[in-house]
Amino acid sequence: MSRHRITVVLSQAQGKHPAKRALEESIVAALLMEPGLEVSVIPHLYDLGPDHTGRRFLGSVRGDMVLLSWLFPRAAFWVLDRDGIKGQWGETQLKPPADDDEEETGEPQPAKGIGSLDVPDRTIYCLDLRDFNQHQPYVDEIRRVAEEGKVRAEAKQRERAPAPIVQLGLNLRNGDTPVADALGSPNGAPGSPNGAPGFTADQLLQAPGRRWYPVIDYSRCTNCMECIDFCLFGVYGVDEHERLNVENQDNCKKGCPACSRVCPEQAIMFPDYKTPAIAGAPIGAIGNLKIDLTKLFGGAEKDALSQAVEERDRELVADGRQAVGTAVGLPKRQEHKQEKPKDDLDNLIDALDALEL
Amino acid sequence: MNKPLTFMMGKFAAVLPADRRYCRNHMWCLQSDGVLRFGFTTYAVRLMQDVYFLDWEVNPGDALALNHKVGHIETSKAMSDLFAPIAGTLVRLNAELLNDPSAINVDNHGQGWLFEMTAVSDAETLSVQEYHDFLAAGWEKTQNMLKGHM
Repeated sequence: MSRHRITVVLSQAQGKHPAKRALEESIVAALLMEPGLEVSVIPHLYDLGPDHTGRRFLGSVRGDMVLLSWLFPRAAFWVLDRDGIKGQWGETQLKPPADDDEEETGEPQPAKGIGSLDVPDRTIYCLDLRDFNQHQPYVDEIRRVAEEGKVRAEAKQRERAPAPIVQLGLNLRNGDTPVADALGSPNGAPGSPNGAPGFTADQLLQAPGRRWYPVIDYSRCTNCMECIDFCLFGVYGVDEHERLNVENQDNCKKGCPACSRVCPEQAIMFPDYKTPAIAGAPIGAIGNLKIDLTKLFGGAEKDALSQAVEERDRELVADGRQAVGTAVGLPKRQEHKQEKPKDDLDNLIDALDALEL
Repeated sequence: MNKPLTFMMGKFAAVLPADRRYCRNHMWCLQSDGVLRFGFTTYAVRLMQDVYFLDWEVNPGDALALNHKVGHIETSKAMSDLFAPIAGTLVRLNAELLNDPSAINVDNHGQGWLFEMTAVSDAETLSVQEYHDFLAAGWEKTQNMLKGHM
């Protein structure tokens, strides 16, 4: 058997959506039949606080990891990064069936962000559980990823523990399902060979409260600090390297995605927000997503900036503070240009426009 | 007199009963015993398809402004915030739907009602003919929105 092991972590959906639970269970059941995988189940990744066992488990995982979650892969990856669970971005070949008339996005753009720090030499693959409603595509992709990791590991001649150990964090339905039977007691499993302490299913799956905070994609963030200026609740700060970070995430106002609208690089994600672009969807790839009917059902139509200002004012007032409108912390990208008289170049461009070429 | 109108959504016929009034946010409005009961029109249900989840953010007794956000819905095809169709006071939410929202699909004009409000006036609402015209006027834009997933 392969000596390379890969950890598969399934992050459950919030709530108890039966269709989602069914998919989760069938994926776990199928993966348990696969050799060389260590499978664990944790609650919704985004909600895990620093003390949650599921998060400590994630932190204990060494080596390559596949994370299945109900989040956009980019969002899931940067939530992990934020929690100190870092790795190289694993490119998945799992792609949702594209809409017929959806044009493909071009080559991935070179990252212009400041990047993450202290990234270890291992790869993290994030798969989106919303892409398919059958377990097979996920199992196939995890097989492929495991093979890819094996090739990589052999190239590095890394020493691995020999026996594949299945560790299950989820007692599927009172432990009387075939899956749980096949496993025996997950609690009795010895600590995994990579030194992770044993985590019991109860601890791993302890329901966390819902959380709300921004997640920064450092492959996009340019450290421009516009979010610090805009957010008046002190969510953002800078670390000892003068890099932007989410310093006080609990100051963040539940449901408010205003800073994300202000970010010029779309580097700020709110993974649970309903609009895909804010929740971390890849740019340009909106195929297979649910339609947002909010505008049709009475929501106002606004541009991003005035929407952000309105959202911020609402939260300020809810806090008993003064609404500030557009007076504070807005990017002033265009303002100076409008104050200046037109120069030669402006005149030239106006002349070209007038020709209507 | 009480003949329902039909709006054609492509090949799908959305029937609009004439016994009630309509709102621009695609809810119907039916008055009985001094309260106004609201529910999704067939047009709205057809766009959403199977309702998975319904979430309310307001409670009975709350005073609502027109277009005040009241909740959220998720369906097989769509999701949306929901807004107050008129200004008034929320009286009652359809508790049955929280356990099982399928009545919205099965019986949107009856058991699938959403909430009840009292209002000073229902002047904001439309007659069935006005709603039909409203749908016709917005249909092309709506189709573009659906295609573009905007």
